[in-house]
Amino acid sequence: MIPTIIRRILSAIVVLFCVATVAFVLVRLSGDPVKLMLPPDATAQQETTLRASLGLDRPLWTQYLDYLAGLPRLRFGDSLVYGQPVAEVLLARVPATAELAAAALALTLLIAVPAGTFAALHRGRAGDSGVMGAVLIGQSTPVFWIGILLILVFAVRLQWLPASGYGGLDHLVLPAVTLALYSVAVVARLLRSSLIDVLGSDYIRTATAKGLRTRTVVGVHALRNAALPVVTVVGLEIGSLLGGAILTEQVFSWPGIGRLTVEAIQNRDFPLVQGTVLFFAAIFVLVNLLVDLSYTVLDPRVRLT
Amino acid sequence: MNRRALLGLGLLSLLSGCATGPGAGTVLRIAQPADPRTLDPHKISDMPSMNALINVFDTLTTRGPDNRLAPGLALSWEAPDPYTWRFRLRPGVRFHNGEACDAVAVAFSVNRLLNPATKSPIVELRNVSAAVPLDELTVELRTSKPDPIIPAKVSLFGGVVVPPGYLAVAGDAGFARHPVGTGPFTFVDFQRDRRLRLRANPGYWAGPAGYRDLEFMPMPNTSSALAALQSDEVDMVTELSPDSALQITGYRGVSIRNYPAVPTSYVSLDTTDGPLSDVRVRRALNHAVDVPLLIKAVMDGKARELATLIPRESFGHDPAITPYTRDLDLAKRLLTEAGYPNGFDTTLTARTDSALLAEAISGLLARAGVRAAVRLLDIGTYTARLTSDNRRALGPMYLAKSTGWTLDGQSLVQSNVRHDRRQSRWNSPEADRLIDAEELGIAPEDRQRAFTELQRLLKDQAPFVFLFQSDSIYAMGDRAHWQPNAAGVLRMHSATVTA
Repeated sequence: MIPTIIRRILSAIVVLFCVATVAFVLVRLSGDPVKLMLPPDATAQQETTLRASLGLDRPLWTQYLDYLAGLPRLRFGDSLVYGQPVAEVLLARVPATAELAAAALALTLLIAVPAGTFAALHRGRAGDSGVMGAVLIGQSTPVFWIGILLILVFAVRLQWLPASGYGGLDHLVLPAVTLALYSVAVVARLLRSSLIDVLGSDYIRTATAKGLRTRTVVGVHALRNAALPVVTVVGLEIGSLLGGAILTEQVFSWPGIGRLTVEAIQNRDFPLVQGTVLFFAAIFVLVNLLVDLSYTVLDPRVRLT
Repeated sequence: MNRRALLGLGLLSLLSGCATGPGAGTVLRIAQPADPRTLDPHKISDMPSMNALINVFDTLTTRGPDNRLAPGLALSWEAPDPYTWRFRLRPGVRFHNGEACDAVAVAFSVNRLLNPATKSPIVELRNVSAAVPLDELTVELRTSKPDPIIPAKVSLFGGVVVPPGYLAVAGDAGFARHPVGTGPFTFVDFQRDRRLRLRANPGYWAGPAGYRDLEFMPMPNTSSALAALQSDEVDMVTELSPDSALQITGYRGVSIRNYPAVPTSYVSLDTTDGPLSDVRVRRALNHAVDVPLLIKAVMDGKARELATLIPRESFGHDPAITPYTRDLDLAKRLLTEAGYPNGFDTTLTARTDSALLAEAISGLLARAGVRAAVRLLDIGTYTARLTSDNRRALGPMYLAKSTGWTLDGQSLVQSNVRHDRRQSRWNSPEADRLIDAEELGIAPEDRQRAFTELQRLLKDQAPFVFLFQSDSIYAMGDRAHWQPNAAGVLRMHSATVTA
């Protein structure tokens, strides 16, 4: 298993190197940051001067090599817009995004696991369609609409929760609910079908025949086996909770990485875009690795080779 | 399920106790679409950044409520020769750290801005070659060519004065983390994407502000910002569009205020070839676009019709020049005369955030037979094409908007009229001569004469479709009282807050 992990880490480095290169090229295809930094009435001379002082007039390969050389030491250069090191700007946003993603993930599991289990146990009956229909509404409603709706009800009308911003636990509730509503359907539906499969298998019949209570059969035997595909998807969902929070962060003025990324792209802030893209790639690679490793714990039949 | 639902509700009501947060008292909380990009005033050129930092820093000159240029850190100014502007400074002003704000500090600030190593995006001082202190309270700005509006240009960005002693110790990065100015508020702390907190400076030279705390919060989504206003999390929402203002009209405790301002909208026409090279066609377009109707229908009445490009509050505006008459028959007649009895096909490019206005203009043009397909571009792409060397990158017609915060006509015409400027799509030796006259002449009377002639010429030759200047629109809660000047800058020193 250890050599496998080393191999996986090496391949992760290759993936990150490729992502770094693609990010470098793509962001440069998107346009000239100097044009956006200066007011439209700047002269061509003023553009040239600023471009030179930012080092953007150097040959592309010099810029590329400098950029690659900085990566192992986590130096991504200075943000063109904020004038601060990219790592500093990025790290300042990690807590808010992590907090939101963790809360949304917890809410997702809290709602999706009971909902999916309930639906599987009541397969084909009214309860099943009711629960699955309800979670589908969450998935098919646009975030900016449901977010605004929650704000209007809970912040403006009832005044129970703050409308937006970052602060205590009370600020977290509405954005986390908004973000979780989307993932609930994905997880609940998958768990339902996976659980239906497992419930029909021989060992469940054996367990039931042994005289175990339904709660034990479902909780101990069925859920654990049905969890495998769900864990994979939840792993992927972590990625989309981190990255897909962009709209939620906009609506709730949440100071996370999603909003930072959008602004960086709009401003053509090359170093910052490169930094955020690499950050997301690293998270995805890491989560995938962890998901694979968790299989061996959940199911002893799986061996990483 | 039921138990869980109840638990959820219980949790919500438990949390609700702390929902309102620290709001009451003497704090003024302002929602802006964005944070300041950095807190170093020499490294920003956008309005949201300036709006926050103008409360920490002072400028050499300023604009009063009547929009006239007024003394700031400089008490008086004069041009001893066409290449020099001499400023006499206000005595006894100190930075928040106690450092003296004198001629050395002013010269240091201007020279820091001009130094390429500063990487400043501020472009107005392009003609200034150096700043030189003459004595403790006198400083000269020397220019490479005559620049009559230097005093107006140092009323914002380029006129900000920073402390040389503090910068030498803190360095650029330290200064941006904890800015020190001479302004009415001192810096408290800044959490990017959350809030910038400032506190009234008790020793401010114009007297302290009437309240203690000033906070700026970035809220990119207008609907959320308005919701935050309704639930008393902010006191004021800035930069509203007329349609978002309508969303909230009529709510208790919230008032929508609009004030005359200078952002000027127009349509640039490519006069180099095709139908638009014919002046009769360009006049026809001006007769066809019913600007009063646009203002009523799209701007909810919160804009004022303009005869040409120069807004009312700017130096150079001549009220004697009247807008085009709106006359569809005349427009059609002119098009027929020019050889387009059935109109023609063209495109109108606009930024995505002015889609409504572009569609409305296209609709009005269609009545005269001119079929202008609207093409929308995101802000980044639009700006890149606007400033590219290809003057036709935005197509035959594009909708543009400029804010001449200098309140001088020059800012509106400097980059789009003279034939060699990058956004000019018109070649008129007469216009070039008038631009030179207003740009290089120091005497205000001569400049006004040039502007008057230029506006007559612009109206006659119609290289643009002239539209309107739009108001600044704010939503305010009950507690905040404040009125902006025409440049729309958020100088909050004059605001009052009732508890």
